Amino acid sequence: MGDQLDNRLREERIRRGLTQAQLAESIGVSRKTINTVENGIFVPSTVLALRLAKALGTTVEALFQLR
Amino acid sequence: MTSSNEVELADRISRRRVLGTTFAAVAFLAVQVVARPVLRSDGYGASGWRAYAWPFNSALLLLLLLPIGGYVWGRGVRALVNDEVSRSNSKSATAAAFWVAMCVALLVYLFAPSVGISARAATYLVVTPSVGVALLVFAWLESRALRDG
Repeated sequence: MGDQLDNRLREERIRRGLTQAQLAESIGVSRKTINTVENGIFVPSTVLALRLAKALGTTVEALFQLR
Repeated sequence: MTSSNEVELADRISRRRVLGTTFAAVAFLAVQVVARPVLRSDGYGASGWRAYAWPFNSALLLLLLLPIGGYVWGRGVRALVNDEVSRSNSKSATAAAFWVAMCVALLVYLFAPSVGISARAATYLVVTPSVGVALLVFAWLESRALRDG
């Protein structure tokens, strides 16, 4: 499933000048969660995807795309 | 909102857990290979505290896969350590152990009549590799999750 999903999480995070730890802190998850989503190892739940999008001021569709 | 201290602490605890789980699994499997406490015919592990050491150890190690513990760090850190990723890794490790248990159980069933194996030894043969695989898979998945890349 993970290999069917592209994400722009790293690009969006870096564009906003945030570290993985800072983004993790802002949405109340571990750095490990951010790292695995960025690397495509872990497909986030809908709730997590919505929280990531909100924290980065974008939409879920802009962050995640089906390959 | 979580504090940066909690995120950093959770990160450190997760890394320590990978090392601890790997060490515990390797030590557990090494003891089984070297001492073979249940399979020996000289009665070494048949009675006394040694008879209970293996099941106690196995049960204790399986607890490492559950999102429990770490009460000294508080609810926030505990939630970060046992986050969505770790819970998913724990489920994957449990699934891997299930398949190992099924394969070994079928082999034991096939060979039991010719080897003459006790229920105790059969249980030992099924549970030991399953516990080892569960812990090693969990440690590997967690280590991969923590790897920067």
